Amino acid sequence: MPFPAKGVTERMKVIACYKWVLDEADLKVDAKSRALLTDRAKYKISEYDRNAIECGVQLVEQVGGEVIALTAGTSNAKNSIKDALSRGPAQAVLVKDELMGQADSAVTAKVLAGAIRKIGAYDIIVCGEGSSDEYSQQVGIRLGQLLEIPVISFVNKVEMKNNVLRAERKLENGIEVVEVNLPAIITVLPDINEARIPSLKQILAASKKPVQELTVADCGLSNADLEPKVHRLSVLGAVMERKQVRIEGDVSEMVQQVANIIKKEVSC
Amino acid sequence: MNFSLTEEQRLIQATAREFAQTHVAPIAAEIDRNHRFPEELIPKLAELNLLGVPYPEEWGGAGADNLAYVLVIEELAKVCGTTSVIVSAHTSLGTWPIYKFGTEEQKKKYVPKLASGEWLGAFALTEPSAGTDAAAGQTTAVLDGDEWVLNGSKIFITNGGYANVYIVMAMTDPSQGTKGISAFIVEKDAPGLSIGEKERKMGIRGSSTTPLYFNDCRIPKENLLGDLGKGFKIAMQTLDGGRIGIAAQALGIAQGALDASIKFAKERVQFGKPIATKQAIQWMLADMETRIQAARLLVYRAAWNESNGLPYTVEAATAKLFAAETASYVTNRAVQIHGGYGYTENYPVERAMRDAKITEIYEGTSEVQRMVISGNLLR
Repeated sequence: MPFPAKGVTERMKVIACYKWVLDEADLKVDAKSRALLTDRAKYKISEYDRNAIECGVQLVEQVGGEVIALTAGTSNAKNSIKDALSRGPAQAVLVKDELMGQADSAVTAKVLAGAIRKIGAYDIIVCGEGSSDEYSQQVGIRLGQLLEIPVISFVNKVEMKNNVLRAERKLENGIEVVEVNLPAIITVLPDINEARIPSLKQILAASKKPVQELTVADCGLSNADLEPKVHRLSVLGAVMERKQVRIEGDVSEMVQQVANIIKKEVSC
Repeated sequence: MNFSLTEEQRLIQATAREFAQTHVAPIAAEIDRNHRFPEELIPKLAELNLLGVPYPEEWGGAGADNLAYVLVIEELAKVCGTTSVIVSAHTSLGTWPIYKFGTEEQKKKYVPKLASGEWLGAFALTEPSAGTDAAAGQTTAVLDGDEWVLNGSKIFITNGGYANVYIVMAMTDPSQGTKGISAFIVEKDAPGLSIGEKERKMGIRGSSTTPLYFNDCRIPKENLLGDLGKGFKIAMQTLDGGRIGIAAQALGIAQGALDASIKFAKERVQFGKPIATKQAIQWMLADMETRIQAARLLVYRAAWNESNGLPYTVEAATAKLFAAETASYVTNRAVQIHGGYGYTENYPVERAMRDAKITEIYEGTSEVQRMVISGNLLR
C-alpha cells in the first residue's frame, strides 16, 4: 500500500540516528567474575550507525539537501557530536538525559521520535540495523510505529528516483527490491557502503556546525516515559571452553579421528 | 597540567589510525620487501589532509597543530616506518622552510601545493663528506645574471625522485664558513639537476633515498630561500622541527612492536600455556611499555612547545634521542618475544627492528642530540 508523501521537504532532509557506545575493542573481561571491565574503554559511534550517517550523506550528495545527525544519551554522548559532524551531517541534535543510561529499545525509540517531531519536517530517517553493543534491531522499527511511517529494514542498497526511495533488502533467501514514498525510515546493513574516513579539515570544521541540545521535556516526554520495560540484570563476558584435544598418528589416522570428532559433535 | 588530547586531536588520531589500518598496513610488508615507494598512498594521504597537518587552511594545510601532526606520524609509523617518514620529511623538511622563511611570492607559489599534498617536498643538506659535520658541504651556488648556478651533489635525500621541490643548502661564500651557506628552492625539473639511484637500505625500504647531482643546475635568482648566508641557520631550525617528526616515527614504531608482542605473547603457547603467563615475557613487556610511555610524554611535550610558541630545540633533541633509542630497544625485545618467528619476514617485528635503527641516525644522530642537550646544559 503506498503511503502518502507527507512531510516531504523542499530540499531533502535526512535524519541519521546514531548511538554512542563503548568500543568493544577496549572491553576486557575479569577472568574470575566474568564482569566487563570498562574503566579504560573509549566510546565510539556504533559501527552500523556510521554506515547510516554515510548513507544519509551519500543520498544528499546525490539529490541535494542536508543530513541532521541525531542521538540520545547521557551527558557522555555530547562527546560524540564532533565525530558525527565530521562525517558529513550539516547539524546535530542531542537529546541528553542521565536516565538514557538505562534506556531499552522502546525508550530510545520514544525519545528519538519526540526529537524528530521537534525537528519538524523530514524525508528520510536512517538508522543502523542494530547497535554495536546490544544489537536488538528494534529502534528503527519502533520509530516507524511511533511516527506512523513505513520502515524498510535490512537495506543493502538505496537510491532516490523522482521522490521515491528504492531500496534493496538483503534477506536470508535473496534480495527484495522495494519502493516507498517519503517520508520513510530505512535501517541499513554494513554492506550498504564503506563509511568514509573523515578528513582533518572535516574534523576541524565540525566544531563550527550548529548543535541543538534537547531535554526529554523538549521532546514532549516525562521521566516516567524513560522507565525501561527491560531491566538489565547483568552483563558477563562469554567463556569459550577449549577442549584441547590433541590428535596424533599418521595423516590418514588423524583425518579419521577429526571426522569422528566432527560426527560426534554434530550429533550432539 | 593537562595530559588530555583535545577532542579534535583525538579525532585526528582516529582518522590517521583508520587510514593506517585500511590503506597502509595491507601494503607495508610488500613495499618493504620490494623497496617500492608507495606512490598510490600520496593522493589518499592528500585527500585526508595528512600531508599538511600543521599548516593553516589558507595555505592549503589542514589547519591543525603540531601535536596533531605528531599523532598522525605516530599512527602511520605503528604500521609502516616508510609511510611515516615520507610524510614527516615532506611536512617538516620539505614544506616548513618555505612556510617559515619564504617570501610572500615563494609561499604563494609553493606552500599551497605542498601543504595540500599536490606536490611532495624534500630537503637536501647531507653530502658524501658532510653528514653530522653539515657545514663541510661542498655544493656551491654562484649568481650568474638572474640565475643561481648550483654544482655538487647531495646524498641520502628522502623522497628523492618523487619530490617536486627540494630545499637545497649550498655554499655561496666559502670564506664565511657556516655563514657562507644559503638555502635554495630547486624544482625537480630544474636544468642540470639529476636524481641518482635509490639506496638499498636496511629499513624504511619503501622510502626513496637518493643522491642528487647538480651539474650547472640553473634556478631563478628569486629561488634563494631566506637571506643570503642564512642557509645553515635555516637548516638547523628546520631540523629542530623535523626531529619531532622522527621522534614521533620512533614512538610509533615502538608502539606497533609492543602491540604485536602483546598479541603474540597471548597466542603463543609453550609448555601448555601462553608465553604471556611467563614472568620473563611479562617483565619485557613492562619495560617496553614504560619506555614507550616516557618517550610519548617527551614527544608530545616537544610538539606542544612548538605549537605554543615556546623554545623546542632541546625538547626536540631530548624527545628524538629517547624515542629513537626506545624504538631500537623495544623492537629488539619484540623480536626476542617472538622467538624464531620474530626473525622471519612473516611477522612485522622484524621489519620494525630494521626500521627503528634509522631513527637513531637521520635528522641528527643520537650523538648529535646529546651534543645539543649537553650544550644547552653547559652554556
